[in-house]
Amino acid sequence: MLVDLAGGWNPMLGRLAWSQIPYDNPILAPLFVAVVIGTIIILGLITYYGKWTYLWKEWLTTVDHKKLGVMYIILGLVMLFRGFIDGLMIRTQQAWAVGTHSSGVFGATHGYLTPFHFGQVYSAHGLIMILLAATPLLVGFMNIIVPIQIGARDMAYPYLNALGLWITAAAGALIMISLFVGDFAHNGWFGYAPIFELQYSPGVGVDYWIWTMELVALGTTLGGINILATIIKMRAPGMSWGRLPIFVWASLSANVIALTSFPALQVALGLVAADRYLGAHFFTAGLGGNLMLYTNLFWIWGHPEVYFVILPAFGMMSEIFPTFSEKPLFGYITMVLASLAIAGVSWLVWLHHFFTMGAGPYVNSAFSVATMLVGIPTGVKVFNWAFTMYRGRLTFNAAMLWAIGALFLLLIGGLTGMMLAVPAINYMVHNSVFVVAHFHSMLLVIVYAIFASVIYWFPKVFGFKLDEFWAKTMFWLFSAGTTLVFVPMYMLGFMGMTRRLDYVFNTAWHPYLLVMEFGIVVYMISVLAFFALLYVSIRDHAKNRVGTDAWGTSRSLEWLTHSPVPFYNFAVLPHISTRDEVAWRRDNGIDHVQPDHYEDIHMPNNTGVAIILGGLTFVLGFALVWRIWWLCILSLLAIMALVIYRSFKGDPGYIITAAELEEMEKDAMRREAQIGKQHYRVGGGVLGDAIAYERSDLPPLASQPGSSVGLDHRS
Amino acid sequence: MSHGHDDPTLHPEVQISTSRGYFLGFAISSILMLVATFLVTSHAVPPFGLLMVISACAGIAIMAQIYFLLHIDISEHNIWNTVALVLFIPLFLITIGLTWWMFSQLYLHTMIMPGMPGMMH
Repeated sequence: MLVDLAGGWNPMLGRLAWSQIPYDNPILAPLFVAVVIGTIIILGLITYYGKWTYLWKEWLTTVDHKKLGVMYIILGLVMLFRGFIDGLMIRTQQAWAVGTHSSGVFGATHGYLTPFHFGQVYSAHGLIMILLAATPLLVGFMNIIVPIQIGARDMAYPYLNALGLWITAAAGALIMISLFVGDFAHNGWFGYAPIFELQYSPGVGVDYWIWTMELVALGTTLGGINILATIIKMRAPGMSWGRLPIFVWASLSANVIALTSFPALQVALGLVAADRYLGAHFFTAGLGGNLMLYTNLFWIWGHPEVYFVILPAFGMMSEIFPTFSEKPLFGYITMVLASLAIAGVSWLVWLHHFFTMGAGPYVNSAFSVATMLVGIPTGVKVFNWAFTMYRGRLTFNAAMLWAIGALFLLLIGGLTGMMLAVPAINYMVHNSVFVVAHFHSMLLVIVYAIFASVIYWFPKVFGFKLDEFWAKTMFWLFSAGTTLVFVPMYMLGFMGMTRRLDYVFNTAWHPYLLVMEFGIVVYMISVLAFFALLYVSIRDHAKNRVGTDAWGTSRSLEWLTHSPVPFYNFAVLPHISTRDEVAWRRDNGIDHVQPDHYEDIHMPNNTGVAIILGGLTFVLGFALVWRIWWLCILSLLAIMALVIYRSFKGDPGYIITAAELEEMEKDAMRREAQIGKQHYRVGGGVLGDAIAYERSDLPPLASQPGSSVGLDHRS
Repeated sequence: MSHGHDDPTLHPEVQISTSRGYFLGFAISSILMLVATFLVTSHAVPPFGLLMVISACAGIAIMAQIYFLLHIDISEHNIWNTVALVLFIPLFLITIGLTWWMFSQLYLHTMIMPGMPGMMH
């Protein structure tokens, strides 16, 4: 042992002991029982219906980018729910523990959470929401959409793609198990030196925090490499840089950020681990350590990461606005340049996270100006979206509502961001809930864009639309929750309420906190509406089936292939002749032209190696947290052996012959013809929401979307 | 998908990698790391000299790793490697340079000790 550990350590179990299981905690113990029962029920159901083989063959070992993307999104949604429950706990504690007369239960003097437990809750909330909810959700969408939008059959590295997913899932599992075995970090999601040093945080919480982040960083870096290589190398013939769909450009710039910035996080956390495991002094208060170096290193990653998550959200909005405005995106080139500019400037602004550190006026002014520069490309984007909608045939369906909601939040978050970019204001509101409200506005832009995309791209992936009524109900409930939680939070920020209070001393703030508590309950109802949305949509899926072009006004290449997308994406790789290929083909009446012959397709084989590696990474992380050295060495050796084995074995792939392909294509077209007939009879029900109403002041479209042109071949 | 059938080992970026190169890169970085560790633990050099020597070691190690392990050069058939390099250099200058500037300013304002220039005025 290079460092002194509080509590016991034995060679067999490391620091693991019965006393580390919080079975006497009145919140965690019942939750643990519920989780165990839930798991048994799910496993039992899978066994009862005999779905294990299906699950293993079709999902767990898959290298299909769409299925991997769907699993990324499921992981993200589960973690979003977990993070939301943490948020609910934070809000409840702050609404309860106000003033000296407030009651306390479960061992807390005020409220129901002890300060140490409250610290863990907000740390987990932040880490989960940014790295295990937003990031997997966006990576999932990029995974599904980017290859189809550029006309590729799969990612450049299908196996690496699966590996990225399973390493990210291992990180999710690691943070989830910290609920029931040991505890989590209490140092905030980004950590502070020197509180995370071993002598101030002797438990395993900080170790869970380190290895969870390291694993997400690794998984996301692998995903980033894959998406970049796919965009650069796998574009369909004719898909020049100027014809790339805008979401692909957004993904490209986002992943350039991911690839260049995530290593900084890995190094920073590696140095924290060196301090805690090897007794080094990188970030200690004495012996040559530098406290601020940690903050500096962390935000060198942290700020680019913020743009890594916002850029794909911008890309999603840029796809949704044109579709439901029935116009091409305004200012394509400026949009591309704005994305790249945001990616570039993201590297120049990290110091605005610690203006108050005391680096002085020159440094602060420089970074303040750099931060304000971000407003220029973002403003370009906002105006481009506004001009896209201007004089368009707007359809206010659920996806469009979510996208417009994102735009509103971007304005609020962006303008408060401009305020925070001024060091003088920053000194005033630093560490207050004003900052918290600002970055929640920005992250909610992402959440809104994600829900817009879930609705927008769901029919492409699953072949049927989500229920409009419940999607809209969820939108209005969610927006009401957002308003009720974050408007009072901005106000409290101006009143001087600091962030992360486990006890609120000022009773004058109580009404605002109660409004926020009410808001989070509304959020909870919107979550229930989301479950209802899924239930109703799956129940009625036969009614809501769609053809290739689910919305009738779609523009980019993913709408050219069948819905749901076949595992080979395109039977024959399309030749791209213009930007907005599908809109162009529809306008020229060739959107349903079928190829006259097929050729063999080469596809990658499924592999179980990726999920086994993911499992081993989880074991490695767990062993590192509990310092079970023999298990660390064993799992590390197993990982190395497996990676080397797989590298030498390689994957020859398999061939789908032209005859098989033709058969599958015929099937798909027969299914689609069925849908066409059904809806043609009831008056274009499938396209109902997408057909724009004629406006007298606009010239009629050359070809009405969803009109006879597209349906000819079916009848 | 005609290029899918190609032998991946025939790609130029794979062709330039040799096991000799990898071992050489590994050996050079390991030796430099050992030298730096020895100098730090033995206190053989005064602090400022030590800083210079280990910085130089780190610089050489980075060069060796870029060349031998990452195969980043400016040859024509590795054009995307060159793009990566062009992207990397400004980022390197930004992160290291701005961090340096920030800390020098920070020390000027916060680490005021007797005898330091900050005390003179």
